Amino acid sequence: MMSDPAGQGRMIASGRGPDSSAEADATVRPGAVALHRQLAAIWDTPKGLARLSAVNHTILGKRFMLAAFVFFAIGGLLAMLIRVQIATSTSGFVGPEIYGQIFTMHGTVMMFLFAIPMFEGFAIYLLPKILGARDLAFPRLSAYGFWCYVFGGGILIIALVMGVAPDSGWFMYTPLSSSTYSPGVNADVWLLGVTFVEISAITAAVEIVVSILKVRAPGMTLDRMPIMAWYLLVTALMMLFGFPPLILGSILLELERAFDLPFFDPNRGGSPLLWQHLFWLFGHPEVYIIFLPAAGAISMIAPTFARHELVGYRAIVVAIVAMAFLSFGLWVHHMFTVGIPHLALAFFSAASGLVAIPTAVQLFAWIATIAQGRPRFSVPMLYLGGFFGIFVIGGLTGVMLAMIPFNWQAHDTHFVVAHLHYVLVGGFVFPMMAATYYWLPHFSGRLSENRISVTAFWLIFVGFNVCFFAMHLTGLLGMPRRVAFYPATAGWDWLNLVSSVGAFVMAAGFALFVIDIVVQLLFGVHFRRNPWGARTLEWAMPTPPTSYAFASLPQVGDRADRIDVATAGARLARGDGYLGFARNGWMETLAVDPASGAAEQLLVLPQRSFKPLWSGLATCAFVLCLLFKLYVLSLVALALVIVSLLWWTAGMGSRKDLGPLPVGQETMLRPHWETRRPPSWWAMAFTCAADATLFASLLFGGLFLWVTAPAWPPAINSVPGVLPAIGAGLAVLIAMLAGRLSAARLTAGFSPAIWLALCFCAQAAAALLFFMMAMAVPDRTTHAFQATMLVMLAGGGIRAAIGLLLAGYGLWRLHAGYLSAQRCADLWIARIWHDHAAITGLIALLATQAAGWALVAPGG
Amino acid sequence: MSLRALLPVAGFIIWAWAFVALYAMLSVGCRLGWEDVVIAGGLSLQRAQLIVIFIVHTGLLGMLAVFLKPRRHAGFFWRVSYCLSLAAVAATVFSFGWVFVLATCL
Repeated sequence: MMSDPAGQGRMIASGRGPDSSAEADATVRPGAVALHRQLAAIWDTPKGLARLSAVNHTILGKRFMLAAFVFFAIGGLLAMLIRVQIATSTSGFVGPEIYGQIFTMHGTVMMFLFAIPMFEGFAIYLLPKILGARDLAFPRLSAYGFWCYVFGGGILIIALVMGVAPDSGWFMYTPLSSSTYSPGVNADVWLLGVTFVEISAITAAVEIVVSILKVRAPGMTLDRMPIMAWYLLVTALMMLFGFPPLILGSILLELERAFDLPFFDPNRGGSPLLWQHLFWLFGHPEVYIIFLPAAGAISMIAPTFARHELVGYRAIVVAIVAMAFLSFGLWVHHMFTVGIPHLALAFFSAASGLVAIPTAVQLFAWIATIAQGRPRFSVPMLYLGGFFGIFVIGGLTGVMLAMIPFNWQAHDTHFVVAHLHYVLVGGFVFPMMAATYYWLPHFSGRLSENRISVTAFWLIFVGFNVCFFAMHLTGLLGMPRRVAFYPATAGWDWLNLVSSVGAFVMAAGFALFVIDIVVQLLFGVHFRRNPWGARTLEWAMPTPPTSYAFASLPQVGDRADRIDVATAGARLARGDGYLGFARNGWMETLAVDPASGAAEQLLVLPQRSFKPLWSGLATCAFVLCLLFKLYVLSLVALALVIVSLLWWTAGMGSRKDLGPLPVGQETMLRPHWETRRPPSWWAMAFTCAADATLFASLLFGGLFLWVTAPAWPPAINSVPGVLPAIGAGLAVLIAMLAGRLSAARLTAGFSPAIWLALCFCAQAAAALLFFMMAMAVPDRTTHAFQATMLVMLAGGGIRAAIGLLLAGYGLWRLHAGYLSAQRCADLWIARIWHDHAAITGLIALLATQAAGWALVAPGG
Repeated sequence: MSLRALLPVAGFIIWAWAFVALYAMLSVGCRLGWEDVVIAGGLSLQRAQLIVIFIVHTGLLGMLAVFLKPRRHAGFFWRVSYCLSLAAVAATVFSFGWVFVLATCL
């Protein structure tokens, strides 16, 4: 028992796991200091090696952002090397091979290792605080994502240092990146390393979506959420649908390089355009994924410094949803010159111009907010001013590039480089720097006098414009991208020299920025809280924030940017809200109905653990085995990954029904494992949506090759066996029905054992049959059709194998006593996967059979 | 949450589906030579099928907007749904109206 020295609250038996009985709620709540000590004892992460077991969102958010900033510095250094190389036409700094690695890694590092993880870290740090929760829905998933990011990024940087970095451009176009023209390990480093990092992005996306929908303060309906939550929700949903095409493309290209499956080889029915479509289907939403969180930050910063509520909250929500959808219809504007029919180009040109409208809606909302307020022009506002100027210029050149005739002149010139830097630096880097100055007092609990902040800003702003504005002209004069040398007779020398000088001025500004931040962190003046007079929940807590964020959780009755921070902070610290006590050593927060915000579940979060680190290391081992072509060993590593992830579930849930538990405010809620739709149910649903996108990309990729690739139809003599196909189809259907019945029977109070066993056997049969059919595809390296069939059937087998694991897990949980009519979530979650595996499996079977019979040679 | 939760994004889901259908069928039609198949009034089979797809989706969007219009004052959810449906109609017309005039397979 923990002691209760102040005698102000009845303490609960402490234990590490939810199997301990909840004896009672605290009928007399502890005071603020005692409550803080109790919560800190549960939520704090000890120092030393134990920090590697951290799952706390504040720690992980800061780690993500710090790591992202380190990668930004590396990317920036690479940029300086680029500018040194092309400052003049007579530069002999590096040769073309090394230069290829430098510009490829500059783009790759900035896009994959800086921008996305920076926003992820920002979201992980900030979301629970602005939503009135103690942590995100899946703390260990955040930790696992962090390790995947750091290890994946490490592989790329080590390759750079060793001189084998990817060198085919950050977008890795085939056939340059295929094994014929890039025989070394360089391209494999990109394909495997970036895919490894993308695991982190997908896990973060699932975490963010589920946390925003489910883990909010009670009473926070969707229209009361802080606007940043809307931005992050839309961004994370875009990631779920935008990243799978890239993951698929990377898998297919790696299969082509490793096993000669000709997806992108036009001599064998493949097409280089398939890579471009898959890449840019990811690549264009990617830049909006980068922009939207920054826009969210602006939407929080501008009202605070304008001292006026955000104008046009509803209009902004409409605009960002429209922008999210439109951004998925623009990708071909990166491919206007490849020979696609004009009508199709017109679709993408129109959408590319159209997306400026929702962007403008947001800009005007911010301008209106500032215009209607009494603005204070502090350092964050300086960076917002920089954003306005630079981003608008970038947006205008974007509309220019959306016009096809102009695009045909400017494509692949430095005009495009200028445009992309104006929108990315203007639209992401400047708002992030504003956000850094705005929230740094929150991270650190200190303020600075900003003596060098203004100088740093002007150096960055002026240096940026000198560097990149000149590039518009360089591009219009015809200078192509990605060239290590250019002739003196081209007349580009003086413009490139100006750009390079500007780049060095900008670099000096960034160096001053770093010094400024370090000085604030080390020597800034301590203060109480909320120096800016903001009205959002993250300021209603001590700064630096505690590990548990809120000592008690608020009931929200109005929009979450109308908080009286001082009053709310004091009240919550006293424990006057929900969960104003410590119980069983549990890390508790609340889950709500997504739309109404009504409190629904008591969410008991997992304690800190080294398991995410072990899983990250196992995954890294798997990736390295693939990179070095140790395929048999990679299967061992894969087994370790699976075992390590299953190990996460040990001890989760309870062996007995606890029933509703008091959560404060005279409310009783069931723990999440006694509900049918805990947050993990939603996570499974969204993961299936991401996988469905990957499957659909493969299906449409196959259709694309059939319709547009040369060397079709293939000369094939056999069709995948009909009997195995029927068998596999029946097996996945039986597995789906058995999975549904197991969940229903358990909920009705009956044993699901027989249905789980049936599901297990059916998935085993399905997996076996799918893999047999995949291995039986003849001549798989001779034509893209066979290669696509193989991948489609193998994918069905993999999904059935995952279903097998889930059915087996259900049987184990039943045997171990973790399942009951109340504690049935495990089977409802698995049901989603069984349905998904069945639907995609049946479509894969129908598609392969239909395509096979349509193409088989007469008499074959 | 029920399927009603998808109402705000229903309009743009229809827009996205129109995009997929038009781009896919444009490619299929060019591959199968439908541009050279003339049906009524000098209209090619290629253009006819694209126009039908366009009209069907625009019609669906129109119906959605009509359904949402009388409900638009019923709260945040309905207002946002209605505005997004109008935006989707405008996006569909502007993005895909070219099927009436532009050369299809060049």
